[in-house]
Amino acid sequence: MSPQYTVHATPEARDAGAVDLAVASLPASFGPAEAGSAADVAVLPGQPGWTAEAARAIDGGARGIVVVNPAPESVSDLLEAAETNGSAVVLDQRWASNPAVPGAEDAVRAMAGRAAVLDSVATAPAGTGSGELLADHLAAVVRLTGHLENLRVVASGAHGYTVSGRLANGAPAALQGVLSSARPAGVSISMLTDDGGVNVTLPDPLAAWPATVKATGPQGELLLPTLYESAHRATWRRLKEHLDAGTSPSDLHRFAALTASLSALS
Amino acid sequence: MTANHAVERTLGVGILGAGPVTQAIHLPPLARLRNLLTVRHIMDVDAAVAESVAARVGATHSTSIEALLGDPEVDVVAICSPHQFHAEQVIAACRAGKKAVLCEKPFAWNAEEAAEISAVSQETRVPIIVGAMHTFDPGWLAAEANWGDLPETAHTIRSSIVLPPNARFEDFATEIITRPASGTPDYTDAEVIKGMLRGGIMGLAIHDLPLVRRFTPDFALVEVLEARIVRPFGYIISLRTPTRTIELRAAMNNTWKPEWSFEAFSDDAAVRIDFTPSYVQAGSATATFSRAGETTVHGPFDHNGYEGEWRELAALAAWAKQPPSPQNLIDDLTFALDIAEATAAAVDADHKVGQPVREGAHA
Repeated sequence: MSPQYTVHATPEARDAGAVDLAVASLPASFGPAEAGSAADVAVLPGQPGWTAEAARAIDGGARGIVVVNPAPESVSDLLEAAETNGSAVVLDQRWASNPAVPGAEDAVRAMAGRAAVLDSVATAPAGTGSGELLADHLAAVVRLTGHLENLRVVASGAHGYTVSGRLANGAPAALQGVLSSARPAGVSISMLTDDGGVNVTLPDPLAAWPATVKATGPQGELLLPTLYESAHRATWRRLKEHLDAGTSPSDLHRFAALTASLSALS
Repeated sequence: MTANHAVERTLGVGILGAGPVTQAIHLPPLARLRNLLTVRHIMDVDAAVAESVAARVGATHSTSIEALLGDPEVDVVAICSPHQFHAEQVIAACRAGKKAVLCEKPFAWNAEEAAEISAVSQETRVPIIVGAMHTFDPGWLAAEANWGDLPETAHTIRSSIVLPPNARFEDFATEIITRPASGTPDYTDAEVIKGMLRGGIMGLAIHDLPLVRRFTPDFALVEVLEARIVRPFGYIISLRTPTRTIELRAAMNNTWKPEWSFEAFSDDAAVRIDFTPSYVQAGSATATFSRAGETTVHGPFDHNGYEGEWRELAALAAWAKQPPSPQNLIDDLTFALDIAEATAAAVDADHKVGQPVREGAHA
């Protein structure tokens, strides 16, 4: 049986996005394109200039685009190209693409109006760029909370950063980045209300470690079902759903808002 | 049950102040240490409270500090009175020739008071410990025995505290009489914000600032980068020294789920210490070390830092241990006072007093 959609990935994207593993784990849906033939899906690394590369791939006939770890940049031209050609562009983001995020988003949004504080800590190996970590970190946080107001870099240096902001209801938010190789990279996001809150931990997509999402209220604590799927594979599943249904992902719209926030911070 | 059995073999304890801290924090661990310590005298300005609390442990009661310090049955003194009386009572206990003194935090309100206490302690040779219970927690002590050079190499330190109102945990520990009343602050008043931040540092952060200081060799150079309040009571405070990033978080709300952690990170190692809540007799903290691909856990042990304080006090009174360096106590206090003062100054710098303060706005 041939796979439903053929895939071509650049070498950099194959490594960064663990593309071989993700595609192999969805064998009925995706498979490698034969050499010299056009692929249904193009996979690109998210280094600066990725939006132009993606637009070229769409012009070349790609129906689906996967961008691994996209760097902040304007996506307006790419959005237009994708809409004109009916192509689906999905972003494979380190933490924001974790399959637990939609459930976490629902849990956070259900309590956000009563939030008292949001505290989040992201860790990445020593030597990682603070800006790179902050981009991944903020992408994960705003995916759950929506736009943060009054974003401000309180401190930034070789060992990490502290960023402050406000939730929509005015409650304070703090994002701390810590650069240390002591622990596996990951992000924790804790939003507290007067009588409980939501606690989310998102692992790196190096393995299918499950995220944890816990919603706490007066009656106790609810652990959302654990999903043993990496952010990479979840991204490919989303792409398949959009390709099957002919729908447009909201990834680029969200990314435009994220890029605007990061620009305001820099 | 005989409350004063084995009187001949144990140290006599006198406690100044019989409020919730004495009732819920100190009497339960003392009940576990009857082989070492016996409560002999309870003093409180409210005679009914003094009598009631003393009756629970079969102790004498009084309403005057002189009566307690003059009681020859009292060998060691715990000072659990309102903060403003701590310094004078510590000095009086030393002058009374007691064997050791435990003072609740903070033990003074300024560096001069602290230095005076230190001088009296050295002159009278009466050892003093401050009730920073986490520094006596077996989980912290296990971390200390295993952290190697982490205090020197750490670059990032976090203290995070999420607690329900004290009453929830007091009620797990005992049956409280005489709880103080509380009100709702005006969050739009900059003076209220300053008061909350000061109170948060001297009343809540102070529990872990001695731990933070252990990992901050250049603590004297601390500066406040940002300080914000969290409703109904809490704070987000960002600090830095030339070599350390320090983040303090706290939220006291109506949740049932506490979290009390201390973390320190270097480039290649980290420690996280998860403490049990105040008041409850839930054993010690657990210390977790992480070093690239390796995790080691120490604890939990069967008693908490409050009991650790009393074990330490008994050992000091018996001359079985060297007393702590008075300079350490002074440095812990001045570190907290410096942060409290700088935080208030940061509020003043960013907001004209009397102007409404936006929630979540940085101070």
